[in-house]
Amino acid sequence: MNTDNPIPENELQRLAALKRYNILDTLPDHAFDDATKLVSYICGVPIAHISFIDESRQWFKSEIGIGVSEVPREISFCRYTIMESKMVEINDTFLNERFKDDPNVTGGFKVRFYAGVPLTTPDGFNIGTICAVDHVAKSLDENQRNALSIVAKHVISQLELQTKNIELNAQKKIAERAVLAKDSFLANMSHEIRTPLNAIIGFTDLLAQTKLDETQRDYIESVQIAGENLLLIVNDILDLSKIESGNLTIDSEPFNLKKTLKHIYNLLKVKAHKEVEFNLFLDADMPETVVGDQARLNQILVNLIGNALKFTDEGDVTVSVKKIEETDDRYSLRFSVKDTGIGIPEDKLKSIFERFTQAEESTTRRFGGTGLGLNIVKQLIELQKAEIHVKSKEGRGSEFYFVISYKKAENTVDEVKPISKNDLGPLKILLCEDNVLNQKLVTSVINNFGFELDIAENGEEGIALLSQNKYDLILMDLQMPVKDGYQTTEYIRNELNLDIPIIAMTAHSLVGEQERCYKVGMNAYVPKPFKQASLLKAIKNVMNQDVVHEKKRFIDFSILDEIASGNSDFKNEMITLFIEKIPHQTEELVAAFKNEEYDFVKKIAHNMKSSLDIFMLTDLTNCLSIIEEDALRCEFTSDTADKINILNCGIEETVKILKDL
Amino acid sequence: MRIILAEDNDILRKSLSFFLESKGFTVDQFSDGKDALDSIKINKYDLILTDINMPGISGMEITQYVRETLNLDTPVIILTSSGVEQTELDSFDIGANEFIAKPISPAVLLVRINKLLKIKA
Repeated sequence: MNTDNPIPENELQRLAALKRYNILDTLPDHAFDDATKLVSYICGVPIAHISFIDESRQWFKSEIGIGVSEVPREISFCRYTIMESKMVEINDTFLNERFKDDPNVTGGFKVRFYAGVPLTTPDGFNIGTICAVDHVAKSLDENQRNALSIVAKHVISQLELQTKNIELNAQKKIAERAVLAKDSFLANMSHEIRTPLNAIIGFTDLLAQTKLDETQRDYIESVQIAGENLLLIVNDILDLSKIESGNLTIDSEPFNLKKTLKHIYNLLKVKAHKEVEFNLFLDADMPETVVGDQARLNQILVNLIGNALKFTDEGDVTVSVKKIEETDDRYSLRFSVKDTGIGIPEDKLKSIFERFTQAEESTTRRFGGTGLGLNIVKQLIELQKAEIHVKSKEGRGSEFYFVISYKKAENTVDEVKPISKNDLGPLKILLCEDNVLNQKLVTSVINNFGFELDIAENGEEGIALLSQNKYDLILMDLQMPVKDGYQTTEYIRNELNLDIPIIAMTAHSLVGEQERCYKVGMNAYVPKPFKQASLLKAIKNVMNQDVVHEKKRFIDFSILDEIASGNSDFKNEMITLFIEKIPHQTEELVAAFKNEEYDFVKKIAHNMKSSLDIFMLTDLTNCLSIIEEDALRCEFTSDTADKINILNCGIEETVKILKDL
Repeated sequence: MRIILAEDNDILRKSLSFFLESKGFTVDQFSDGKDALDSIKINKYDLILTDINMPGISGMEITQYVRETLNLDTPVIILTSSGVEQTELDSFDIGANEFIAKPISPAVLLVRINKLLKIKA
């Protein structure tokens, strides 16, 4: 009996090379099974296999005629083959000194003929073998030997390919994470930049309202313009990061189109050069009101018209809107911005929509701008399922146009009745805010409105003040030390049981945040840097209970409707199922998250995604994907907790809306 | 045409089977992979539509069993969702005809099903 146990010189490195492929104990695979079959056909043998040899065993990735998944290394023929650099062929084991008494020759697999080629990695390690075995003595011809070696090379290529694919996928994951990190970096940075900018713009506004001499007024105006330009750039960057991360959504609310256009016109009129005629042409049968995203239309047009005015020294800039199609429930409107400015060279017509590109490199210096505007415009138009077109002749002018299809408004928009400041009377307001500059700014603005203001440095101080004095309203910053805005609001609502109106003030612009504010019981939301008018409007809104209006989540039923094909019973059945199941699953998820039960979190998150898909709750599904991935990595961070929170709020809100249907 | 649908998410399973039935298919639905496979063993289906991760056994195992043990060439569509699952699928060619990524568009699903059934006919 043969007890020889040969170990290759480079055994440790060899084992490391084998481990790299992660092939041991994997599921069967066609590619390897095919190769094994090929060996059996080519060599005309009943037994063939592809195997890998680790410290203690020979493991069969693929086999014909063996029927076991592994054998101990000590009884494996192949332990000799991996010592060689070429094929080992034993034509008749009975005549071979080394093997004639081997248990697998005298019994076992009854090996009489053996041919094995080592599987050699590109860096030269024999990690396994591919073999042909027979119960009778035989000899391979030259072609068969060649073929066996070629198949061996293919097996290694296949292994390499799989490993590369797995590596590639891992790299892809890393890249995707990097993009996420970049997005949140951008969102956070713009938050950090906007907070002080908020103070600069606000104080400049206040300063401009004081008595100034001509030079001072000139200086202040320059600061105002610079501040606003800086804000535009920060907003551009934030918009881009939102578009890229898929977090920018298009609203669908009725709005007055004519008013919007006139407002833009009046706003930009002042920017036109003296020799430029600035026109707004509205089609006579253009609808008054449509359903869509007013803010985004505003942004698109301000950008395009702003460009047209910037690049036109004489002649005219014409904005025209035309109805080109009307169906039962939609209008198609063509928006055009045409100028007689410097125009765009033909070879630049495509690249102007790319990021950080302007038609000429020198343009940046002559005309200013970030080079982000047109890229954002293009993406905003595409998000509304439309396309931007441009026609231009150098030196003659340009025309940018696009056609957006808007839903018809069912009835006219209810105009919020303007309430004059006096209607509110004297108000006593509490501000919870830790930033000194913002405290001063809000103080001046609120005093301007004629209201009284107390300041708390953080939530806890706010709660203390609240129990000492009577206030009409609270302005709440979200990020504060000790107790943040959410916690403070929760405390006021749940512990103090007060229904005093609370307005959130925040420079955060992250998706889901607004929802979270409403969820914890705030009544309104004013983004920073705030305009005096919008703060006053928010105060009026919350003080006039009839006008209090919660921004509701919009649930897109188009997939469910497509599935239900008009059967409302089925649709209702699915909605009921959602209401019955999802809140319970969410509870389970939250509990499992708290207990760090990674496996369970992964399972529930995964399962919930399919349900949420049907209701097109994309933002919540995205949260679930991140939660699922974090669970897979067995690592929960504050970001995961945030996602859990957003998900929880979103589900609660969705269920509420579904119940009210 | 008779389709077997294995998917453990109730809402998705009921939705898909309602949708397919409304398009004239007969649908047998299962939330457990093992039950689904048992039914495949005794019934004749024109198409198999399966999720990957389910209680019982996985969609990959079902596919493998259908191809290798039952030796059937019934078209198989696998519904995938996570990137993790995609990686596994990339590494193991298990003989499915189509992969459809979640979220599933009913229209796309219908097109793919029709395409597979036509090819077979």
